[in-house]
Amino acid sequence: MKVRDVTVTGAALTPFNRRKDGTGFRDWALSAFEMALERSGLERSDIDALYVASESDFFHLQLNPASVLATEFGLTGVAATRCEGGGASGQVAVHTAARAIQAGAAKHVAVIGVDPSASSLSGDAIRTLYGFSFDAWTDGMTGLTSTALYALSFQAFAAEHGITEADLATVTLQNRSNACHNPGAHLPRRDSPQDIADSPAIASPYRRLHCSPLSDGAAAIILSRTDATPRRRAGAARIAGMGTATDHMHLGARADPGFFTAKQIAMQRACAEAGATPAEIGLAELYDAYAGTQLQSIAALGLSEDVSRDLNNGAFAPTGRCAINLSGGLMGQGAPVGATGVGQTATCALLLEGRYHPSLQPDTLPRYALADTHGGVCTLSAVTILERAEKAA
Amino acid sequence: MISNHIGLDYALNPGWMAPYVAGLSVGKARARRCQSCAATSFPPLRVCTCGCLEGNWTDLPGTAQILFRTTGLDGDFGLVHFDGATTKTTLRLQAIPATETRGIIAASGDNLPVLCLTALTGERDG
Repeated sequence: MKVRDVTVTGAALTPFNRRKDGTGFRDWALSAFEMALERSGLERSDIDALYVASESDFFHLQLNPASVLATEFGLTGVAATRCEGGGASGQVAVHTAARAIQAGAAKHVAVIGVDPSASSLSGDAIRTLYGFSFDAWTDGMTGLTSTALYALSFQAFAAEHGITEADLATVTLQNRSNACHNPGAHLPRRDSPQDIADSPAIASPYRRLHCSPLSDGAAAIILSRTDATPRRRAGAARIAGMGTATDHMHLGARADPGFFTAKQIAMQRACAEAGATPAEIGLAELYDAYAGTQLQSIAALGLSEDVSRDLNNGAFAPTGRCAINLSGGLMGQGAPVGATGVGQTATCALLLEGRYHPSLQPDTLPRYALADTHGGVCTLSAVTILERAEKAA
Repeated sequence: MISNHIGLDYALNPGWMAPYVAGLSVGKARARRCQSCAATSFPPLRVCTCGCLEGNWTDLPGTAQILFRTTGLDGDFGLVHFDGATTKTTLRLQAIPATETRGIIAASGDNLPVLCLTALTGERDG
């Protein structure tokens, strides 16, 4: 079977924040979809299928949200699929949509990620629900929170890799500093290491400022078969490689509870498909649910053999060899769960086209960018490698 | 603003995990011992990492070594190694001083079938 090439013809994000303006998830999803569609140069009637990433019906109290959004978007009649993989939901939707094009089942598809993670329920209720992101019958019923599980995994990683609190602070400050240049970011902040140390302890070593926020928002991309891409979108980035993998659901069943094995395998699969190596990745949007999670991800993705050293020599800074989370990441830009993976892909596509927020746009465009998400404590990993077009702006 | 309060009372059947859940309710760590390689998993793995589908239930001795612990808003939790198990597990640490590295397994006392780790009364590390 011939595998078709896939191009990101349209990409857009709404602001990620806590909405207080009376709008709801249907409004954000429509806004992101219409922006992405306009940028794609396509019409509604060109869209063959809709893929919707949303982590939980509990957030918006809507089962079967894909068909609801198809109606909201004026797309009634298209194929509609809801994709869910915990925190990886967005990338799972991107992969499912791209595979449909590759298989010849669609020519142009819309991928929407949306969740009202901040405004629809109390923070305590969301935290309880997140506890069921793990094995709900074992970990989930112990009262073990997401932050506590991540903290335990990080401690194992830190002990092995010599990671310090100063390293956690560097990640925190860098991501939120990047967010200061992103007008759609939830937490654009310029804190000091002392501010971090003074913030409340959530689950040691994590303090509040080490954590990503709960956010509302949506993101959308339009994927097209490359040979059907509108001519004016010749500079759009293409999907070069995708990889997904799972790990043991129970942290304690893993040979190394601090290492994200699923992410390593997913990255190997994506690189094999792209014909690329981790060393060729020049931009990356990583799943920084917590500051230490970003460091664990860097190691598993093969972006560094000495994470602390490279972090501190600026390798992942905006001007470094692999700029990480220019958007601010989950910690700075925000985390409406279903939207995060789609938003990362949109961000990478815009960066590779030279169309991202001007003060975050690198002077030199790399060939490859990486979007990385996971669900659970990297129980399910999904990564996407995007490639710059020859005629990028 | 649309306000909507929903209370949900779940009745979840544990299926093959019934012996495990029954153990939790009485404070016992009931693990799965592989018939092929003898690996002992807690929480139980239905399919052993060696690929074997056959296993027997076995009660672990009831003590554990704390490998990593985290403290915060919701209390203390640990990644611990139950004596007699091959795998590790995560659970709540109930009033175990930070200097202690071992504990004894107990029912949590909540309404859910959950274990926690409590301070040893007689046994000490080493």
